[in-house]
Amino acid sequence: MEGDDETSGPMIDEIYANGDDNRPRKPIYSGDQLDIEVYASLYTGRTKIMRLLFVADRCGEKNNTAMQLEALRMAFDEIKKGENTQLFREVVQKIDGRLGSGYDLDVAWAENVDRRAEAKKEKLENELNAYRTNLIKESIRMGYNDFGDFYYAHGQLGDAFKSYVRTRDYCTTSKHIIHMCMSAILVSIEMGQFTHVTSYVSKAEQAPESLDTITVAKLRCAAGLANLEAKKYKLAARKFLETGPELGSHYNEVIAPQDVATYGGLCALATFDRTELKNKVIDNLNFRNFLELVPEVRELINDFYSSHYASCLEYLGNLKANLLLDIHLHDHVMTLYDQIRHKALIQYTHPFVSVDLNMMANAFKTTVAGLEKELEALITDNQIQARIDSHNKILYARHADQRNATFQRVLETGREFDRDVRSMLLRSNILKHEYNVRASRKL
Amino acid sequence: MDLTTVTVALASKSYDKLADICDNLMLQVAAEGISYQEEWPYSIHLLSHFYVNDITSARFLWKSIPSSIKESQPEVTAVWKIGQQLWLRDYAGVHEAIRGFDWSQDLQGLVAAFSELYTRKMFQLLLSAYSTISIQDTALFLGMNEEDATNYVLQQGWTVDHASQMLTVKKQPIVTEQKLDPSKLQRLTEYVFHLEH
Amino acid sequence: MEPLQALITQIQGLSSSASDISRLHSILKQADSSLRSDPDRLSPLLSNLDPSLHSLGFLFILEASLVFPVSKQQAEISVPIITRFISACSAEQIRLAPDKFISVCKTLKDQVTLLEAPIRGVAPMLTALRKLQVSTERLTPLHSEFLLLCLLAKCYKTGLSILEDDIFEVDQPRDLFLYCYYGGMICIGQKHFPKALDLLHNVVTAPMSTLNAIAVEAYKKYILVSLIRHGQFSTSLPKYSSSVAQRNLKNFCQPYIELANSYGTGKIAELEEYVQANTNKFESDNNLGLVKQVVSSMYKRNIQRLTQTYLTLSLQDIANTVQLNSPKGAEMHVLQMIQDGEIYATINQKDGMVRFLEDPEQYKTCEMIEHIDSSIQRVMALSRKLATMDEQISCDHLYLSKAGRERQRYDFDDFDVPTRFNI
Repeated sequence: MEGDDETSGPMIDEIYANGDDNRPRKPIYSGDQLDIEVYASLYTGRTKIMRLLFVADRCGEKNNTAMQLEALRMAFDEIKKGENTQLFREVVQKIDGRLGSGYDLDVAWAENVDRRAEAKKEKLENELNAYRTNLIKESIRMGYNDFGDFYYAHGQLGDAFKSYVRTRDYCTTSKHIIHMCMSAILVSIEMGQFTHVTSYVSKAEQAPESLDTITVAKLRCAAGLANLEAKKYKLAARKFLETGPELGSHYNEVIAPQDVATYGGLCALATFDRTELKNKVIDNLNFRNFLELVPEVRELINDFYSSHYASCLEYLGNLKANLLLDIHLHDHVMTLYDQIRHKALIQYTHPFVSVDLNMMANAFKTTVAGLEKELEALITDNQIQARIDSHNKILYARHADQRNATFQRVLETGREFDRDVRSMLLRSNILKHEYNVRASRKL
Repeated sequence: MDLTTVTVALASKSYDKLADICDNLMLQVAAEGISYQEEWPYSIHLLSHFYVNDITSARFLWKSIPSSIKESQPEVTAVWKIGQQLWLRDYAGVHEAIRGFDWSQDLQGLVAAFSELYTRKMFQLLLSAYSTISIQDTALFLGMNEEDATNYVLQQGWTVDHASQMLTVKKQPIVTEQKLDPSKLQRLTEYVFHLEH
Repeated sequence: MEPLQALITQIQGLSSSASDISRLHSILKQADSSLRSDPDRLSPLLSNLDPSLHSLGFLFILEASLVFPVSKQQAEISVPIITRFISACSAEQIRLAPDKFISVCKTLKDQVTLLEAPIRGVAPMLTALRKLQVSTERLTPLHSEFLLLCLLAKCYKTGLSILEDDIFEVDQPRDLFLYCYYGGMICIGQKHFPKALDLLHNVVTAPMSTLNAIAVEAYKKYILVSLIRHGQFSTSLPKYSSSVAQRNLKNFCQPYIELANSYGTGKIAELEEYVQANTNKFESDNNLGLVKQVVSSMYKRNIQRLTQTYLTLSLQDIANTVQLNSPKGAEMHVLQMIQDGEIYATINQKDGMVRFLEDPEQYKTCEMIEHIDSSIQRVMALSRKLATMDEQISCDHLYLSKAGRERQRYDFDDFDVPTRFNI
């Protein structure tokens, strides 16, 4: 018997605890400075370099030289594994000798790469010409595809895109078409041409053969990115949420599974209502796999849903610096954060007849004056039906008097009818008059 | 020019009808081609508009007065000074303007009546617009000294806090007629009939 | 007998029964051109006629005698004659020759304007208008003349009296344009903004084949009054407006459209700056006073917005939010708005707070029920009128032949009731 009592104690606490006071807290790790090495290891290929350079630029703006140089150093090493001498020269210029002699402009290397590239290009051209004279479709396709790969490796994205698209006329199987689409999507993402992404995603999805699960997952991610860029956050959320766990690290030349969790989670939080959040995010077994990779995002979504706003906002606050370093998300962080905060404010006030603004400000880690301004905007926008007692610092829910509102509306409608009918009768009289005048002129 | 109607209205203290009487008489006299302006009782005419709270009409009348008259008749200008304060909603200024001129015999009754009406209106305004108000402001609005003003509102059930020099307003319950006579039901039936056909 | 003398005799003889008068009318019409040939000899003849008994004959002779432009001295003589005639004449007789009567009244307006005494024409013009008018629903050409005189004589209140009539019938579009435009100005002067909006709206949306200056000026004022009254302005005209107006009006009123845009931002400083920079334009349009009212209405608009959000708010916060320079200034604004019934609130001077209240109207008083009742009556009468009109038009030969021939040009929308008013 005693044992029962003991166990019921903490349970009651759990139920009554609103906010973050009594809850055991996990430390938030991701609030720490971004571990660039871990971050970069999630990606391969060009995106790895571009992400590192983006981080470096951002850190440069913030005068975080140590991190900037670290990112540049890793970008340098990565570039040197490839053949993009243009990018190489740029990164050396950015390093500007700050990393010692190992990171100077290696002219010999660059010239060597360029020479080889020249030779390779010539070889590819000869091959392609030969294929074209022989009219062997598959070989021509391969030839253009090789050209695409070649241009992509050397950073000539526009030419790469054209070459990949040219293969289309020589595709004989739907596998070929899908290959062409995936290549076009990859290049378009790198170019920032997200309208192309959308159209090639739908082209691939229309392929007659059923796609393998990995390709489906990749296409969802690409579509998610395109919607994110277009600020269609709800659509973006849906696409990321539909991404299958098969994705794994198969698409790390574009996106890491951690990104799927973060992008999808934040977009969903900003745009979904409570039921959608429960059904499509929290109870979504597929997506749970992704969320496990970024526990902070998982936690903050759960906090939001269970109305632990202070904790949710704290997670968000801690994540913010790193999210701003993300090449795809950075532009949208502020908008998404604002929307999430608005939704939290609305949801917080929803069940109450009156809310103590001091307590609410506390829950949202803000001042009462700041909270008043936020609430004012939401009330003006009719997103919260309440009024602020600024004197006593209390928010009161406002229940519209249906009877009075109806009377008001009826009288207003009557006035409008009166006005509209009178002016209409006048207008028709003038029309009649003008017509009669015209008719009499004809006579 | 026959101003009998105006004098009759003044004598019988029918001040609320005065504006229309003056307006119509002026149009009539003008239509008859009489050059009325020198003799026209502009002061009374202006005040009659104030009395029915029609400051815009008073303002247009003032604008139509020839400047020679504005210069030669200081009382007309003094009356308009009241109008200016009304137009600007300088509540205390109205009382000042009323007190600031030695009104002629003809005008005294009308000015006093307007002053009393305005004080009553100001009291109603304070009643509807304030829950607490300083004694000083109350005196300004009512055009009295502080002691008189305090006594005036205490009689209406207000309370005074001497420490803060603040008065607490006592709201008067508004009585409204809510009884309906049966003919309205008959009407209602007609409306339903109208809607159905 | 001399022909003129003979005519006088005929007038005297044929002014009693209806059939006599109709005979007289045709005689007068025949004599009209000869009368005009020698106007100078006509005025003395008028003394032989009684304007109340021999109204029709008096009218013809008077009208013919007034043909030429006159000097001030001549006007001093003719104005009293016209005024007396208008007040004495028989309505039935003058309605037989409305054109002549209108012409005489217009001469009156011209002459009192010439004498710089427009007020002398106000009362006679109103009398003339009432005598000419067969029904109060019918617009006469004298309506706009009367309103113009009221404006010139600054008798705005008198002008309001005819604006209360509901006008449905119009002979000349131009009469309506002027009536609504001058009427709008009268209502603006008296601060009857809803009525002013209705009138100006009629001008702007009236059918027109070419843009006219009245519509342009009306549109400018319409923009300003919309801002004062509703705090907003939509540049798109209703779809029943003429395409000429929809296409071109905006282009002629650019400073006003920009003013409305600036108003839309809710920032008083920007609005004031814009007005400052464009003062000359507004002044040359004679709209500066109205523009200033637009500016001050923005304070009210911003305070009204606060009432939607706050139950209580300090005077200091109100002053900060609506950009007034002191709590006292905010208190005075709030007080004025309470006085004008624009908000419901009580000021607490002790704590420096304002408490905003809901509209106390409970729609339960007898007065309100009376008001609702009369609104219903009005709406019913209007919808009956509409039905009758609809019937008339659908039986009208001209309309039917037209509608059959070129259906696309006269859209049914021009006549149809908006669907949301299906009563």
